[in-house]
Amino acid sequence: MRPGVYVVGDHILSPLGKGSAYHFEQLANGKRAMAPTLDPALSDRPVVIARIDDGQWADELADARRYTRLERLFIRTLQELIGRYDIPLHSRTLVVLATTKGNVGLLHRPEAGFPHERANLSVMAGAIQRYLGFEAPFLTVSNACISGSLAISVAQRLLQHSERYDQAVVVGGDELSKFIVSGFEAFQALANEPCRPFDRDRKGLNLGEAIAAAYLSKVPSDGAVRIAGVGSYNDANHISGPSRTGEGLYRSIRHALSAAGDPSLDFISAHGTATAYNDEMEAVAFNRCGLGNIPTHSLKGYFGHTLGASGLLETILGIHSLRNGRLIPSVGFHEQGTTEALNIITDGVSLPLRTFLKTASGFGGCNIASVFQIG
Amino acid sequence: MKTQRLYIQSHCTIRNRSIGVNGRTYWQGDPDASLSDFLKAAYRGLAIDYPKFHKMDGLCKAVFIAAELLARESGPYATDTTLVFSNYSSSHLADERHARDIHAGDEAVASPATFVYTLPNIVLGELSIRHRLHSENVFFIFDSFLPEFLVPYTETLFEGSRVAGALGGWTEVTEGRCDVLLYRIGTSGRIPHTIAGLKKLYNEDNE
Repeated sequence: MRPGVYVVGDHILSPLGKGSAYHFEQLANGKRAMAPTLDPALSDRPVVIARIDDGQWADELADARRYTRLERLFIRTLQELIGRYDIPLHSRTLVVLATTKGNVGLLHRPEAGFPHERANLSVMAGAIQRYLGFEAPFLTVSNACISGSLAISVAQRLLQHSERYDQAVVVGGDELSKFIVSGFEAFQALANEPCRPFDRDRKGLNLGEAIAAAYLSKVPSDGAVRIAGVGSYNDANHISGPSRTGEGLYRSIRHALSAAGDPSLDFISAHGTATAYNDEMEAVAFNRCGLGNIPTHSLKGYFGHTLGASGLLETILGIHSLRNGRLIPSVGFHEQGTTEALNIITDGVSLPLRTFLKTASGFGGCNIASVFQIG
Repeated sequence: MKTQRLYIQSHCTIRNRSIGVNGRTYWQGDPDASLSDFLKAAYRGLAIDYPKFHKMDGLCKAVFIAAELLARESGPYATDTTLVFSNYSSSHLADERHARDIHAGDEAVASPATFVYTLPNIVLGELSIRHRLHSENVFFIFDSFLPEFLVPYTETLFEGSRVAGALGGWTEVTEGRCDVLLYRIGTSGRIPHTIAGLKKLYNEDNE
């Protein structure tokens, strides 16, 4: 029997502010982070995005100019997590960093003032590691939009199987750049309004920025949440479009639930990007698993799609939902908008909550489902 | 920790415009060819027939060819073959192209066909589609090939007979450097799946 692995601490930095408990309250108050933005550095057209205000956080560190904006955001988030939970920096602490594109915004932009090489993910990870003083090199996972969730699973597996680590930090983040915005524009995936996951009139996704970090331990603390089961399967269908049958997500959920001992679920935190095809695929997969009646939300309506952070960000807020015994409504949803019905959460009701399922899907046909349980 | 003995069943390298299978030169390209000409010539020369190949970026093309040759060598992949890949430059070829396209002043235009390849794990999707793999995929970014991490990590995937096989890959493909090692891992075979075994495969020259 392998030891259990628990999420014992967390921290979030987003346009809404900092601190995960603070974020949970902001969501309860219906705060949404996205705003129409016209910035030629991102796009020639106005885009509805959720972007972290630099003035607020990014320059609060020594030698700020030697670090890229994204590195500073990672460093600030990790400093707060380390300080709050007194996390040891020695080599028995594993750090897993999840990002889709890291410093890619530096490419072909000499005015940014960093060498081209800094766009390499391991160079970025090394800069953050050395600044903070972690002894072990970071492990970097770059697996499209499931990166944040997959990083939790990788850390769990290493804590369970390797004698080298006692605890782990998992951190996920991406920043918006012209590189990313222009690509999603080219895919015609962006909504020109705050997004509406699973809604009949959904028009696409919003891009967002967040840095999310979690502290994992083999020793449960008060309020710890156990990673009860994970499944991850590829659709083997299309590199940019979700499977019509939801095959990979279906297999991922089945595997995760079985690994967790088939618990009854109190809610599902879906990927829910608010694109027509993604939400439809998830509705198919959830119903194939017999989960169409489980209360379900997408948090993309609060933060937009935060790419490499999203799986981790949404997991952390799901954990706070368990601890507080209060459901988070799926903001932006009004009318059933998928062929197969889902039980979308519209009221933040209080009730005893013990177990939730987090899912994520991404380009390349990847999917992941993870079950989290408290107590 | 007690784990199952694992073996490397076959392996393919692509380096310096040369393709090797199990330590022997399998196909030799023109040493002066560009990466894309080399990959196109290899596709034709090896009589591979998969029209979607031509849409792929250089990273996917190189890895696709290597995976194809390993299927010829060791038979079709089991549907649960898990994929554990890594490199240094992520999706650098596609990243460069997309960045160039969008920073081209008045000519700037983003292409969805390029953008989709700006993720390193797209190659895992391409392999899953081609070989019908419904399995777990992960893409790590390292400074260099890291058997010290990959061997114990891959072993954990086999625990409890979760999977029958794995395909490991170091897939560093840029304009200036093509350094690909793909290797099939299973519960039987000749070369032990150990740190020393993998280092030897990575460092050996083809005969």
